[in-house]
Amino acid sequence: MRKRMMVILCGLAIVGFATLIVRLCIIQLVESDIYQSKAEKQQMRVTTISPKRGTIYDRNMNVLAQSATVWTVFISPVDIKDAAQKELIATGLSELLEVDKEKILEKCEKKNYYEVIKKRIEKPLADKVTQFATDNKISAINIEEDNKRYYPYGNFAANILGFVGEDNQGLNGIESYYDEELSGTPGRVVSAKNAWGSDMPYKYDQMIDPKDGNSVVLTIDETIQHYLEKALETAVVENNVKNRAAGVVMNVKTGEILAMANKTDFDPNDPFTVTDTYALERLKAVEGDEEAYKKQLQIEQTAQWKNKSITEPYEPGSVFKILTASSALDLGTSKLTDSFTCTGHYQIGGRTIGCWKLAGHGTQDFAGIVKHSCNPGFIMVGTRMGGENFYKYFEAWGLTEKTGIDLPGEEGGSSSLYHSEATLVKSPHTLAVSAFGQTFKVTPIQLITAVSAAINGGNLMSPYVVKNIVDADGNIVKSTEPTVKRQVISSEVSSTISSILERVVSDPDGSGKSAYIAGYHVGGKTGTSEKIDKKDENGNEPHIASFLGFAPANDPQIAVLVMLDEPFMQNVYGSVIAAPVVKEVLEEALPYLGVEPQYTAEELANMDISVPSVLKMEVEKAKAAITEKSLKVEVVGSGATVIKQVPLAGQPIPRDGKVILYTEEGNVSNQVKMPNVKGMTALQVNQTLTNLGLNVKLSGIDLNGSTTISSKQSIPEGTMVEVGTVVEVSFVNNDPVE
Amino acid sequence: MKEKKLVKLKKGPIDLTFLILVLILVIFGLIMLFSASYAYAYYHDGDSFFYIKKQLMWAALGILAMIFFCNFDYHFFHRLAFPIYAVAILLLVVVLFMEPLNGARRWINFGIGTFQPSEIAKFAIIVTFAQLIAINGNKMSTFKYGTLPFVLLLCAIAGLMVLEPHLSGTILILSIGCIMMIAGGTNLKWFAIAGGVLLAIVLVAIFVPGVVDYAMSRIHHWLDPFSDPQGKGFQTIQSLLAIGSGGLMGLGLGNSRQKYLYIPEPQNDFVFAIVCEELGFIGATIIVILFALLVWRGYVIAMRSPDKFGSMIALGCTTQVGIQAILNIAVVTNTIPNTGISLPFFSYGGTALCMLLAEMGIILSVSRYSALEKT
Repeated sequence: MRKRMMVILCGLAIVGFATLIVRLCIIQLVESDIYQSKAEKQQMRVTTISPKRGTIYDRNMNVLAQSATVWTVFISPVDIKDAAQKELIATGLSELLEVDKEKILEKCEKKNYYEVIKKRIEKPLADKVTQFATDNKISAINIEEDNKRYYPYGNFAANILGFVGEDNQGLNGIESYYDEELSGTPGRVVSAKNAWGSDMPYKYDQMIDPKDGNSVVLTIDETIQHYLEKALETAVVENNVKNRAAGVVMNVKTGEILAMANKTDFDPNDPFTVTDTYALERLKAVEGDEEAYKKQLQIEQTAQWKNKSITEPYEPGSVFKILTASSALDLGTSKLTDSFTCTGHYQIGGRTIGCWKLAGHGTQDFAGIVKHSCNPGFIMVGTRMGGENFYKYFEAWGLTEKTGIDLPGEEGGSSSLYHSEATLVKSPHTLAVSAFGQTFKVTPIQLITAVSAAINGGNLMSPYVVKNIVDADGNIVKSTEPTVKRQVISSEVSSTISSILERVVSDPDGSGKSAYIAGYHVGGKTGTSEKIDKKDENGNEPHIASFLGFAPANDPQIAVLVMLDEPFMQNVYGSVIAAPVVKEVLEEALPYLGVEPQYTAEELANMDISVPSVLKMEVEKAKAAITEKSLKVEVVGSGATVIKQVPLAGQPIPRDGKVILYTEEGNVSNQVKMPNVKGMTALQVNQTLTNLGLNVKLSGIDLNGSTTISSKQSIPEGTMVEVGTVVEVSFVNNDPVE
Repeated sequence: MKEKKLVKLKKGPIDLTFLILVLILVIFGLIMLFSASYAYAYYHDGDSFFYIKKQLMWAALGILAMIFFCNFDYHFFHRLAFPIYAVAILLLVVVLFMEPLNGARRWINFGIGTFQPSEIAKFAIIVTFAQLIAINGNKMSTFKYGTLPFVLLLCAIAGLMVLEPHLSGTILILSIGCIMMIAGGTNLKWFAIAGGVLLAIVLVAIFVPGVVDYAMSRIHHWLDPFSDPQGKGFQTIQSLLAIGSGGLMGLGLGNSRQKYLYIPEPQNDFVFAIVCEELGFIGATIIVILFALLVWRGYVIAMRSPDKFGSMIALGCTTQVGIQAILNIAVVTNTIPNTGISLPFFSYGGTALCMLLAEMGIILSVSRYSALEKT
């Protein structure tokens, strides 16, 4: 072979091999990263392990929300052997899990390893699925662990707790606000898989453990929350409240929320179901029109998820007078000894403003205008403060800012909701109506926080609902300490205001008499406001009835604010319908909190007496024992010993109540028919029932007032009752005070 | 005759460089075949050693064949050339009656293994062409002696291989044949004419419906394999991912991930992708250089051969190894469109390896005489 030929052939070979080396250089050195990441993507299998969501506890570590292990069923379509097995899987799973068979068949067609058939099934069902898979030797059916959220008490504290979505993400309330703490960090298993999807016998498996979520300890007290919810629920039904009712119980010294509720609310286990009667009516009205129904349903769902206390600013009405009064005393523009004359109306800025009492309140001192909730009196107080000072205090009470409570969706404090300093200075009329709580809006949480400051010594606290955040091992990770934002008024003025507010409830001419509880020194203020930006079907402005009560007035501990939004009945005044709700809550919460009752001499004199046990005693001795307790006695029959007594031993009955003693076998019952005693005065009730030989227990508000009437009786009309039985009758003050 | 004079020459020592290169490639090839095949063998055959066991057996047989042929006077092939060609034709006809595998009839099953007649056909072309070139002498430039017989021999074999069908093998044989003709002295104007005819055929083919679309889609899948990742681009993509994953240093011997069922049949045509993944750019380049050295050494032996016949046999066998290596690696790296050409010494295929080693033995046999001439 000629050398030239050899050179040519070698040259060609070198060109060929050199091209390959260049090509290798490009793929392996220049573009290596691209191919490498693509290769890893197909070779790596990343499995996430969901962490357990933290628990929500009340302040006494009662569980309010908890996650439990459940199972998710998924199939690996590529592992399905043949058409027969596909059919078997679809039929079997659709029967067991109640999933549409067509949908399963559709998922069987996919070319991957993970198609969820059903999420969150309980253990027994999961066991059945596993059994089905093993029985039929199907490797394509798999189950994996997951978490499900449980709210053991149903709709209890629903608006505080919130709820979680499909992937356990917090969507509302604490679940949403503390989602990051509660949800934890998912774990990951990175493993190598071959092209068939099974694991490669390869060493780069990597496991990162999931970190379970932290638990949250609320300031909420399950018991007080229960009292509040029970009272609100009854009030909503009794007063036909159309736009839900809200209530807040706050520790006035710390700003801790002890209870917060809305009625009606929802069940966090099933948050999309609407339960409110009026909402259901509105939904029924659009039934048939699918589009409209869907839209309405969404509106109603959103509404029931709202926590009114923090998301709905409203006109506080007369409850705000507490803050006007406190500001004026602190500023010194008003004194306790000032005198105010109310003629039923007041001229200011060229306009006439009427008092709610058209006849006028006459001449009153400072405590008087608070007790009577006298509008002209407060116009004078406000006017004397001046717009500049009024605004300064308004700001100091925290009403121009959000409270910063640790719940999602807080509203309030935006400048469109209240009057600017300039407006208050310029317009005497605006200042005048603002002084008694009209024409501006605050949220219930802003109001109760401000009033707490007015009565706790003057300190504006930051309200909060989460006390501690606890990790999975029970160690406290974070804890909230009470925070004083600022001192708004002096402690002297604060204690003065507390005692004036106690008189609102305890004085015979006080407007808050319906909240009176013997021994507990309840203070409070009524409020009724018209919703000026809304009209009902009759063209009237719907009302909001509210009451803010606290106790004990000499050392305030808890405050309760209740607002009934759009009650629909004859008497919509806060004094009539909201005050009893607050009273009900305080009456149960104060003994629970260990607040010792301190009775006045007058209260002691009015206290009930416990019936002594005289059973099997000789008649004469029995009579002596009863009269000794200053109770009356009536003996039925001529036997020598007592064989039955009504009321039973230990039952409290009012002083001058009567005990019936039966002495003869065969003559041990004397029944009467229970009459209706609702709507009567105390005197009338007493007469009617004592005439029938029944014992009367009147619930302890000022019974002598002319406007006090009975509203409830413990034994329904028409029931046959034994003579001597104790009938409890509750009274409300029907005095319509704004 | 001139030929007979050379036959009398005494044998010298074999070309050690060439032998060492062959042995390195055989051992390297076996190691890589084992590494590339064991996952596939485990999952498909339940025995990780399924392929390496067979390959080892054939490699041993091949080494024996190589030893035999390097001690065998290659001049004997003067007489064997046309009988071998006849056997090749016979087997290429027989294979057409075999059960098709993957739509083609390329293998004859003879009990202990399968065998591709195209392997014999390649050698048949090399040996007959060498024979013709040797006896033609100065008549090579004529059409009658220097072109026509070659074209007829090639066409018969290529025609039968197209029937199998075995296009890549046909292209390979045509390439070997053409290079031998050029090196042997066939007048280049015939190639120019053949080229013209080929171009004309291509131009006519453009007007056959479907041909352009088919060609365009082949080119499209070649230039952008990622356009059909699960279908036509799959093998190419998996190969590129393996090569790219290797980087400079590779994942280490045995550590390929792509061999876990991602690359289809990693022991066959795409074994080099696994080499790149495990040994990186450095290892892959070393292998390319080893092939280049082998080709260079083969051509040196051919050049030094004292007679035309030996020279042409050595040239033909060397060219075969060179073209196969270049085309295979070019396919694996997606430098050219996908065709089914295996990598000498590396790809699985016992009979092919055996044949290859036998051919290496013949080249070594040639080298013994060229070494003498030099002294």
